[in-house]
Amino acid sequence: MRLYDIVVLVTPDLADDDATKVAGEYRKILVDGGATVVKEEPWGRRRLAFPIGRKREAHYTYWQVQSEPAAVAEAERRMGLSDQVLRHLAVRVDEDLKRQAKMTERLRKKAIKRPPRPPAAPVADAAANPPAAERSES
Amino acid sequence: MRMGGGSGSRSGPRTGPGGKDAKGGPRKKFFVRRRKVCKFCAEKIEYVDWKDIKLLQGFIPERGKILPRRISGTCALHQRKLQTAIKRARSIALLPYATD
Repeated sequence: MRLYDIVVLVTPDLADDDATKVAGEYRKILVDGGATVVKEEPWGRRRLAFPIGRKREAHYTYWQVQSEPAAVAEAERRMGLSDQVLRHLAVRVDEDLKRQAKMTERLRKKAIKRPPRPPAAPVADAAANPPAAERSES
Repeated sequence: MRMGGGSGSRSGPRTGPGGKDAKGGPRKKFFVRRRKVCKFCAEKIEYVDWKDIKLLQGFIPERGKILPRRISGTCALHQRKLQTAIKRARSIALLPYATD
C-alpha cells in the first residue's frame, strides 16, 4: 500500500453537484480497487492559471489515498478517457512524507538533548570601521 | 620546544604585494550585500508541498518562470524539490507556465 495525492479537474460546464458526482465516480473506482481515502478536500471552483480548452475555471477535487498502485493506475486511465476531466494528477507521497517526519523527529530529539542556548550576541560591527588614528595623515 | 632552523626569519623581510598603501581615504568601496539563506533550510521544510501555492508563488516572478537559486538563495537540494513541486502545480493549472 502506498500513499497518493490525487487531484482531478472537472469541467466548469457542469453544475457543482454534477461535478462532485463525476469526481465521486473516480473515488468509487479507487475504493473498489481496495483504496482507503485518508483525506478528502473539495477545493471547489477555482480559476485556472491558464486556459485549458477555452475554459478558465474548473472544479478541483483532492484526495489523499492509501492504495495499491493498480487502483490508482486504473482511476488515472479512466480520468484520461473522460471528456469531463480537464486534468488529473496522481503523485506518490509516502516516501517524501516519511522523510519529512524523520527529520522533524530528529530535530525534536536534538532540541530535547541540547539545553536551549542563550540568545545570540549581536553581530560585532566594529571591525568594519577603520581606527581613527590612520586617517589623520594629511 | 622549538626547532632551531630559521623559524624567526619567516615573519621578517616580506616582499611582494600588500605593502602598498590603499588610496581613497575612508570612503567605503563595497556595499553590504545581504547574505542569502535558503528559505527551506531556515524553516526546516524537508518536503516541498506542491499544493502549497502560497509558498511556491514566492518563487515565481512576474514572468511565471522559476526563480533561479542564484537569486533566491535556495540550496541545491531544495531548489530541486521546489522545481518538481512547481512543475506539478503547473500541470494542474495551479501555477502558470508563462504569463503575458
